[in-house]
Amino acid sequence: MTRVLVTGATSLLGGAVAQALAERGDEVTCLQRHSSGLGLTEVLADIRDAEAVRHAAQGHDAIVHLAALVAPNPRWADAVAINVGGTRHVLDAAQDCGRLLHVSSPSVAFADHASIGARAEAPTYAGRDAYAATKALAEQLVLVPSDVATVVLRPHLVWGPGDTQLVGRIVDRARQGRLVLPDHGRPLVATTFLDDAVSAIIAGLDRTGDDPDAWGRPLVVTGNDPRPLVELVGGILAAAGVSTTLRSIPAPLAGLAGRLIGRLWTGEEPPLTYFAARQLSVAHWYDLAETRRLLRWSPEVTVDVGLDRLADWYRSLAQD
Amino acid sequence: MAVATPLSPTANQLISWGLDPAWSRRVIIDGADGSPVDLHILDTGPGPKGTIVCVHGNPTWAYAWKDLLRELGDDWRVIAIDQVGMGYSERGRPRRLGERITELVTFCETEIVGPIILAAHDWGGPIAVGAAASLNVSALVLCNTAVAKPDDVAVPPLIATARRLVDLSCRRTPAFVAGTARMTAREHRVALNAPYRSAERREAVRDFVADIPVLPTDPSHDALAGAATTFATLDCPILLLWGGNDPVFHDRFLRDLRRRRPDADVERFADAGHLVALDKPIGSIVRAWLEAQPSNAPELEADNPGIGGVLSSIDQRRADPTPVYIGPDASLSWAELAHRSEVAAIALVADGGLAPGNRVSILIPPSPELLIATAAIWRAGGVPVVADASAGAMALRRLVRAAACSLVIGTPTTLAASIALRLAPGARRAAFAGLPGVIDLRRSTPGIPVPAVMQSASSLAAIVHTSGATGPAKAVRYTHAALVAQRGAMSTLIELGEGRAFTTSFGPFMLLAPLLGLTCIRPDFPVDDASRLGFDQLAAALGQGRVTTAWLSPASARAIVDTAEGRHAPIDLVMLAGAPITSDLVAGIRKVTGGVVAAPYGMTECLPVTDGIDPERVGTHGGTCVGHAVDGCSVLIEPRRPEDPTAWGDILVSAEWMFESYDQSYVANAEAEVFRDGRRFHVTGDVGYLEDGYLFHLGRRRHVIETESGPVASVAIEQPISAALTRSVAAVGVGPTGTQIVAVVVEGSGSLRIADEALARQARASTAQRIAAVLVGELPVDRRHRSKIDRSQLADDAGAFLAGR
Repeated sequence: MTRVLVTGATSLLGGAVAQALAERGDEVTCLQRHSSGLGLTEVLADIRDAEAVRHAAQGHDAIVHLAALVAPNPRWADAVAINVGGTRHVLDAAQDCGRLLHVSSPSVAFADHASIGARAEAPTYAGRDAYAATKALAEQLVLVPSDVATVVLRPHLVWGPGDTQLVGRIVDRARQGRLVLPDHGRPLVATTFLDDAVSAIIAGLDRTGDDPDAWGRPLVVTGNDPRPLVELVGGILAAAGVSTTLRSIPAPLAGLAGRLIGRLWTGEEPPLTYFAARQLSVAHWYDLAETRRLLRWSPEVTVDVGLDRLADWYRSLAQD
Repeated sequence: MAVATPLSPTANQLISWGLDPAWSRRVIIDGADGSPVDLHILDTGPGPKGTIVCVHGNPTWAYAWKDLLRELGDDWRVIAIDQVGMGYSERGRPRRLGERITELVTFCETEIVGPIILAAHDWGGPIAVGAAASLNVSALVLCNTAVAKPDDVAVPPLIATARRLVDLSCRRTPAFVAGTARMTAREHRVALNAPYRSAERREAVRDFVADIPVLPTDPSHDALAGAATTFATLDCPILLLWGGNDPVFHDRFLRDLRRRRPDADVERFADAGHLVALDKPIGSIVRAWLEAQPSNAPELEADNPGIGGVLSSIDQRRADPTPVYIGPDASLSWAELAHRSEVAAIALVADGGLAPGNRVSILIPPSPELLIATAAIWRAGGVPVVADASAGAMALRRLVRAAACSLVIGTPTTLAASIALRLAPGARRAAFAGLPGVIDLRRSTPGIPVPAVMQSASSLAAIVHTSGATGPAKAVRYTHAALVAQRGAMSTLIELGEGRAFTTSFGPFMLLAPLLGLTCIRPDFPVDDASRLGFDQLAAALGQGRVTTAWLSPASARAIVDTAEGRHAPIDLVMLAGAPITSDLVAGIRKVTGGVVAAPYGMTECLPVTDGIDPERVGTHGGTCVGHAVDGCSVLIEPRRPEDPTAWGDILVSAEWMFESYDQSYVANAEAEVFRDGRRFHVTGDVGYLEDGYLFHLGRRRHVIETESGPVASVAIEQPISAALTRSVAAVGVGPTGTQIVAVVVEGSGSLRIADEALARQARASTAQRIAAVLVGELPVDRRHRSKIDRSQLADDAGAFLAGR
């Protein structure tokens, strides 16, 4: 039986990972600020508190590190403290456990050009987007060779029933009539259905214990079903029962608008950032061969199956 | 004369030029006059496969062989010498060609044990060839050179100018050296200019030019003549690597070399210049060529001389007043064809100076004159080069120029175009018309006998261009034996016999009429747009004679079906040639003609391959059923995954009527030719599979989509989707090879866009293949057939679209 500390279990993905680990018989402790409501052992602490993290990790064999500040326009200091400092604390705590599964993001390698069948590139993003920049620094930290067996995963666009980040934002904006796609949403984008992200993280956790080949290199995790962005957005809206006409603006204009808004907007949730505009304007899909081989894992949920499940979930919400 | 102190290039210089400093060394040999000469050479050191000695021209140096040194230096000992007075060798007294030959022989005898492979460029050519007479040479590689001035060539203008102003241009100023260095990429200029920085270092450059023999009285005339004799008799394989864009040694020099050694392998690069050895990766080509020597090809059967084959039908029917060709404007009887081709043959020989083996470019659209010209060339022992105007002006220009014909036969219009486009510089012109300065092929000259050249079976009979619909157009060489065998193969497909006629939408097919002994009825449509052969044009053609067979491109068949409006045009057999053949097209054309519809498989290189029976047959892996291999033709499938021998793979074909080779393209030949069980097979570039004796065609190998889970044939994806949507679709791969995902483009007007949800769902539902994106847009089709979808272009377009911006 493995004793695992999961950080950030209040998020959809964190909660699902903790639950899946518990279901297969691992002894799971969750660490986050507020209760996750999962009915598992919990340590309520802030990831910025090094001592609390180190204390919570004691007696565990491995850490799954998901806690992060994910927001479109966070305060830079908060993003650094949580995403970089928090990872530093987790890495220190992992010295005692010896095994770490770090959840990163393909954004850390975003270079403003399309990723087409791409392999995981170096985490060199150093632009204005606080999330991508701090996650890049965090990944650089955990990739420094150490005694800790570290597997680094970059799941791309995780979505599924209950998702407030991607699905929730798309649906909210569409309902407000504020959803605009660059170039009619033509770029191919690979996404990760929640269940596939969970199974990849569990596979990665297991590899921290048995396969040094998988250690110390970032592995991209996605479904194997890239689709044009407009199909994904259209599918999500259909599943949520929102009927709307998708509007389009030329991609270069979206980038320009993102830049302007980034300069002028002071609130927490700007309507568009340059980073988001570029993310939506160019293709993002990846060569999964290395991930499959090293994780001994394969994605199983196609976009169509995922959308059916999302539609079921929205229907069950409506009935309640 | 003071002997300048030899200076070798520094290690830093050599490294910056991409050469290994360890290669640079000096050798002292006995000069032609007995006094020692200090040579600089680049020597890669011992190699297991032999020794290659490279001789540069004027005004370059051993650097010219950089690619050969780098590519072959590990396996061969490659030695590039700097000639005396040039590069970094000693600046000695002036030397004549004969002395340079003697010194090269001395060098080889001093330095090398065993057989030698000689490589030479420019005026290094006659030196190397001259030396070969005294050496044990196992192979010869020549780049843009000459062993004699062809009779029809003036002194190369650059050389002529240089000679007139030789001291100014070559020694006192760097004009000649710099002019030569500018003929190749900028990266080579510093290295090429380096040894010739001062006037005294350029003395030999001047002397070299001054020594070029132009008149029989010139001192080196005899040495050059000796080299020409050696070249013709040298008993070793020869490879000519030729830059087609060379103002000095242009294509007429290549033609001269080829005429002297018809057995030489040729690789001509239309876009390379004088310094072809620097312009092109010749190292890899020379490696492949050397490793293929001696050829492991089985000995060809002994020549069967005396085949009058290609002309036998014409001569047997020389009294027959019935037509061999009926066109919209004019017709031609068998008797007229026999007679007029004799008149034209006399004119070609008497006025045009045509000699057996000479090439004649035919720039005539399908018409009686096309048939007459072809027969006349054969009578005179020439080789017709059949251009196809539908390939497009630029491809046509490239192919005709490359063929280096001695004569061009055209119409007043095409001859004017050939002058404007400089299609055949130096060639004489002929036409079936009276034009100033043009040989009139209608004019009979009494008293001169009709030429009757007996052709051996293995001699070259024709050069035909591939359409370019599935790749760059290539020139395909046929022997007489192959043409005669092709007649036999065709006779198993269609019923031959007097009184029968065929019609076709393919221009070059009309040439088959005299070969097969059939009448060809040409429908009234522009040959470069097969889609304008509709029902009315077909019906009008059928009214002209007893048409039993029609060879139609899918574009014509589609036009005929679309314009039939319930009418009938009875034909016994319709051959649909070329992809894509869909079942609704087969059914449609069967309804219109009431005949048997076949979809035979074949290509310019080998026609026919299959009989095309049962085109609607369904196979395990999809694709188009093209019937059984015709008698005498072998079809092999080489599976893409050897562990699964039942799967589809590359289609290889072999038949007696197969082409001999591509003209002047050693590389294309090497790629398209393999030997299996002692037989020569043509690698078609198509993929398919055999099932129950039937061949199924799955499209071009380049259109195979290489996904993460293995190769997928685009055609196999397209068929069920196209059937479900009843629209034309194309499947293309997007992304890097091995990780590609599938995008499907549905035919529609306008530029590419994402299909609406309903269409995408319907397309995905009709196939088990995972489809990343369903797009709608115009499908680019080839210029010639207007039916073959240009999937490579489409893949680029769809890839760029789906990448975003």
